Amino acid sequence: MSGNLVNALTLQVLTGMQLGAVYALIALGLTLIFGTLGVVNFAHGALYLIAAYLAVFISTELGFFAAVFIVPALLFMVGWGLERGLIKSFYSRPHTDQILVTFGLALVTEEGLKWAFGSNNIPFPLPQWGTGIVKLQEYLPFLDGFVAFPKWRLVMILVALTVISLLFVLLKFTRFGLVIRAGMRDSGMLRFLGVNISQRFAVVFGMGALIAGVAGVFGGPITQVSPDVGMHLLVPSFLVVVIGGMGSLGGALLSSLILGMALSFTAEYSAVQQIIVYLVAVIVLLVRPRGLFGKQGVFE
Amino acid sequence: MAKKTDTPKERLLNRRQLLKGSAAAAVVAGLAPTFFIRNAWAEQAIGNYPVNGSSVVFGFNVPQTGSYADEGADELRAYELAVEHLNNGGGMLETLQPLSLTGAGVLGKKVEFVVGDTQTNPDAARTSARRMVERDKVIMFGGGSSSAVAIAQQYLAQEMGTVFMCGLTHSNDTTGKDRRRYGFRHFFNAYMSGMALGPVLADAYGKDRRAFHLTADYTWGHTQYQSIKQFTEAEGWTTVNNIMTPLGTTDYSQFLTAVLNSDADVLVLNHYGKDMINSLTQAVQFGMRELQVGGKDMQIVVPLYSRLMAKGAGAANIEGVFGSTNWNWTLDDPGSQAFVASFSEKYGFPPSQAAQTCYVQTLMYADACERAGTFYPPEVIKALEGHSFTGAGPGEAFFRGEDHQCFKDILVVQGKGPGESSGEFDLLKIVQQVKREDVTYPVQTFEGDLGPYEPA
Repeated sequence: MSGNLVNALTLQVLTGMQLGAVYALIALGLTLIFGTLGVVNFAHGALYLIAAYLAVFISTELGFFAAVFIVPALLFMVGWGLERGLIKSFYSRPHTDQILVTFGLALVTEEGLKWAFGSNNIPFPLPQWGTGIVKLQEYLPFLDGFVAFPKWRLVMILVALTVISLLFVLLKFTRFGLVIRAGMRDSGMLRFLGVNISQRFAVVFGMGALIAGVAGVFGGPITQVSPDVGMHLLVPSFLVVVIGGMGSLGGALLSSLILGMALSFTAEYSAVQQIIVYLVAVIVLLVRPRGLFGKQGVFE
Repeated sequence: MAKKTDTPKERLLNRRQLLKGSAAAAVVAGLAPTFFIRNAWAEQAIGNYPVNGSSVVFGFNVPQTGSYADEGADELRAYELAVEHLNNGGGMLETLQPLSLTGAGVLGKKVEFVVGDTQTNPDAARTSARRMVERDKVIMFGGGSSSAVAIAQQYLAQEMGTVFMCGLTHSNDTTGKDRRRYGFRHFFNAYMSGMALGPVLADAYGKDRRAFHLTADYTWGHTQYQSIKQFTEAEGWTTVNNIMTPLGTTDYSQFLTAVLNSDADVLVLNHYGKDMINSLTQAVQFGMRELQVGGKDMQIVVPLYSRLMAKGAGAANIEGVFGSTNWNWTLDDPGSQAFVASFSEKYGFPPSQAAQTCYVQTLMYADACERAGTFYPPEVIKALEGHSFTGAGPGEAFFRGEDHQCFKDILVVQGKGPGESSGEFDLLKIVQQVKREDVTYPVQTFEGDLGPYEPA
């Protein structure tokens, strides 16, 4: 392979990974909430939006690192409050009702933020340590010549990998995780066994919101902070969940990576890129109607 | 009408007389040579003409929601001010020359207005405009912040016989291939941006440059790419590549990666509004302002600038970035200052270029009605065609009759950095006021047909 081709491929793969990273963080929260609680949360993009707005103000006042800790904590509380105040009344109602109420909530949030801060973008500057580029050829000897990649995008990939790893550790190696995984498999059986799963529902919803909080802090400088960002991210993130299989965390990860790569490799062909996400969805769902790792009986 | 009478007999008689009279009139009308009653035919009902009552209604269709809502809000402020000045005097009514407006309404009628939401969506804009014409009986409508929206409304205007004064639209197509008899544009266009920017860019960055374009994938982006390519190549630049980016993209990294790894030393962002804010911010994040390619500093150019966009991108990101703009509130000519003073007094901050163009267009339409002495659309259109005026900005402006494009001085600007800016509205530095003659192009440059004065 020629040097140029290797360079181009490396860049496209990295770009695909970083595009997928934002989708992965949002889709993880979505699928966690759906898998555990059976709620289709269309307000998840709005949670990202709230996080981005909080992050831009907190980082301006207290610095970026303060935002890294405060915003996810606040989002956990927002998620917890949302579940206790609204979502819990919709567990026993049809999915269409859940979609309507959460979609309505997303619209109210978007318009509320527009009313309060205007529809224009609020600049979210990168912290000083995150600006600039990394000269990849200094770390990857197989690259030929000058190959640059923005530092913040690499940070985004690392953050996504860290959050995903922590979530897997939590679900795999803790008692709380065991209950959640059991709840995702068969919440009815868990109730028969005397586990009060509903007490944990608010915590799970809060966790989903917390992950959206992390995505908002690190993704905010990339997607920028304006009221329509949440909706822009919601549709691809929801597709990630559907392609991965409703409620499957591993599936969400794989499909966000696939979609990121698909977008990256079609970037120069505008007409193809605009439909590629849906094209991938169609192909995957034709071959595997429940998504890549979807289970029988989930959302059917 | 028959005179009111007291007895049934008299009423019957009068009804008979009336019937006879009507029949006679019909015969005369049918047989009479038409040249005797030419004027009666000329001013037939078109759109919402004739205007009855003591007031006349204008329609302002601006993006109240969607990506350009902030520009729409500023347009609306300008429209309210324009109506206030039309009814009570003030603002540019003090500076415009020639001027037939008196500050006591238009043709003796008080101006009222209705407002619609284009949603920055051509279909929504047409629905809203149609409602204004059909339900609210507007005699003229205007506004918008997207070329796709402007073009869609212009075709509707022609169809419905109601004049449309375009708001902010920069695509060459608006007064090029999609020009319409019932649409007028005061704003400049991408071709004029290219004519103004080409020499300035070559002067600042040299003639041996390699440009990579990222372009919004719709009418405005396409025409701006063509124009900037044409005028930079005329200066000796090479166009390395162009990627069409979907409107509303939030993450430009996949496109910027391609730029970064090409041999281009200039990035041209044919983006507007939030698209420009995102692409510029991310290009800066990619370290493009610090890069050197082939021994030259990498440069970023934003051909169409606005103060609202500059604010969204932040002073640090726009520092030194070249672009062009229709108007800026810091201009010191009497017309601009009169408008800035009245706008700032009413709202507490200076107007944007979107506000200025909408304000001027409303006054221009009203003045044309006064000069024509009627609201009859074909006569108002003729009064606007070929009309020259001063006092609405720097220099003399001219509405060309053949394509309805307004020609006037435009500005080449550069973003001010945080150190240079004196406040949140002081973001653009005027590098050059490009003379009208230097941005006027032959009407044959773009093919198009205005269509008839009287809609079919």
